[in-house]
Amino acid sequence: MSGILSGTLVAIALALWLWLGGLLPGIWQQAPLVEHLLWPHLYLVAVSSGIAIVLGVSAGIVLSRPRFRDHAEASMQAINIGNTVPTLAVLALAMSVLGIGSTAAIVALAVHSVLPIARNTFAGITAVPASTIEAAAGMGMTEGQILRRVEIPNALPAILAGVRTAMVINAGTAPLAFLIGGGGLGELIFAGIDLFDPAMMLAGAIPSSLLAIALGSLVGGLAKRMTPRGIAFARA
Amino acid sequence: MIKKFCRLLTATGVALAALVTLTGAATAQTPIVIGSKGFTEQLLMAEMTSQLLAANGFKPDKRTGMGSAVLRQALESAQIDMCWEYTGTSLITYNKISERMSPADTYAKVKELDAKKGIVWLNPSKANNTYALAVRKKDNPATAGIDTLSQLAAAIKGGKAITFAVNAEFPGRPDGLPGLEQFYGFKWPLDDIKRMDTGLTYQALRDKQVDVALVFATDGRIAAFDFQVLRDDKDFFPPYALTPNVRKEVLDKNPKLADLLNKLSAKLDDQTMAHLNAMVDVDKKSVEEVAADFLRSQQLVAK
Repeated sequence: MSGILSGTLVAIALALWLWLGGLLPGIWQQAPLVEHLLWPHLYLVAVSSGIAIVLGVSAGIVLSRPRFRDHAEASMQAINIGNTVPTLAVLALAMSVLGIGSTAAIVALAVHSVLPIARNTFAGITAVPASTIEAAAGMGMTEGQILRRVEIPNALPAILAGVRTAMVINAGTAPLAFLIGGGGLGELIFAGIDLFDPAMMLAGAIPSSLLAIALGSLVGGLAKRMTPRGIAFARA
Repeated sequence: MIKKFCRLLTATGVALAALVTLTGAATAQTPIVIGSKGFTEQLLMAEMTSQLLAANGFKPDKRTGMGSAVLRQALESAQIDMCWEYTGTSLITYNKISERMSPADTYAKVKELDAKKGIVWLNPSKANNTYALAVRKKDNPATAGIDTLSQLAAAIKGGKAITFAVNAEFPGRPDGLPGLEQFYGFKWPLDDIKRMDTGLTYQALRDKQVDVALVFATDGRIAAFDFQVLRDDKDFFPPYALTPNVRKEVLDKNPKLADLLNKLSAKLDDQTMAHLNAMVDVDKKSVEEVAADFLRSQQLVAK
């Protein structure tokens, strides 16, 4: 409740500032360009997030298997590189290998947002109490069945929390794709900076931010709905 | 306990104050702040100026990588002391004059108008770094047979899908895409325009990702990547003579500055600039190395 209240207050403050600064007409003028750039931008975020989710969850599951668990931390550090290396460097590296364009941007964004998902998947699965696994084994479940019916459902809140973080990072970083010819709303932001046009800058920045916020809320809501009632009860 | 802490705090404060005053006294000379845009030619000019000034007893301070409008703002608001600007840019974009004039008149006009803002235009070089549109010389059916901007305009009006790589500024400047479209009477469809970082347009054209690219006339990659520059047959683009811009107060305080900058300006023309740019963009030499070699070879600094 307090989240919605503070969010509304921030939105009102922003709207007031824009109105008083006379920036609203300028921002509105950019509407056709915003519409033109929004779909490529969404495509960038969607595809790179999709790749990050598939890779991250797979990596998290594989590393949580008993025979890999001991080497998990080392592998996590390797995945961490994608996150620690400054975003611009990741983009530049992708560009030098894949050339300019949206492919390089998608790969760079995916690499940059894989860590939260992998780490959370791993943490979520390894946090499942050994007693629960034993009980499942005792009921005659195979390792595969344990994974599908016990470990993953229990780890789901953690996995989805990781997905949420990753998608917000992704949506926030996507504007940088412009620098390697990846297109998207970053075009408006960088053009606005070069041309010293705050309205243009904001016309690109505001939709990008709204996208990040929307994705965060969406995944958060999804997490609440997808968590099996038994787990939610145990967590509560 | 608290007394000790307070004493320590006071001692640190006094020490800091002394340090600041001492360093302030030692470096009594104010630095000359050199601003520049983000593309290779501008980076080279900033570095050459910096090395030249340093060799002559000044303290240069470089601020590179700004967009044109930002750079101009910085100069007008005294956040930078000088930069290298192009006459046409000031005429059309900063001073909003739409009529075209000869290079000499363009220079005279911007010199007169900018003097009112306390900006002094020193001697123009012979380098004319105009905007240009380039295509691949061979193997592109989309642009085959197009040699001039009029022919390009006609093709686009006729419905041909021709993709264009531009930088962030061009579609927003009066001497850029909007002016070009109005002058040649066509409208480039938004879907065919790809905006990217200034330096990437050359790569995009070379790698066949677009049909036309925005280039700068003195860029070394035009020759290196075998591009053909489309002729501006109706003379839309104004002259863009590379010239030092210095704030009047800085010039008054440092009269030697004008002489130095004019000496450098006199050594530059289209061929020289293209050659220097190519050494950075194509041969991948560092900006510092190319600048130092040039200054030495032109005997502007001692060996």
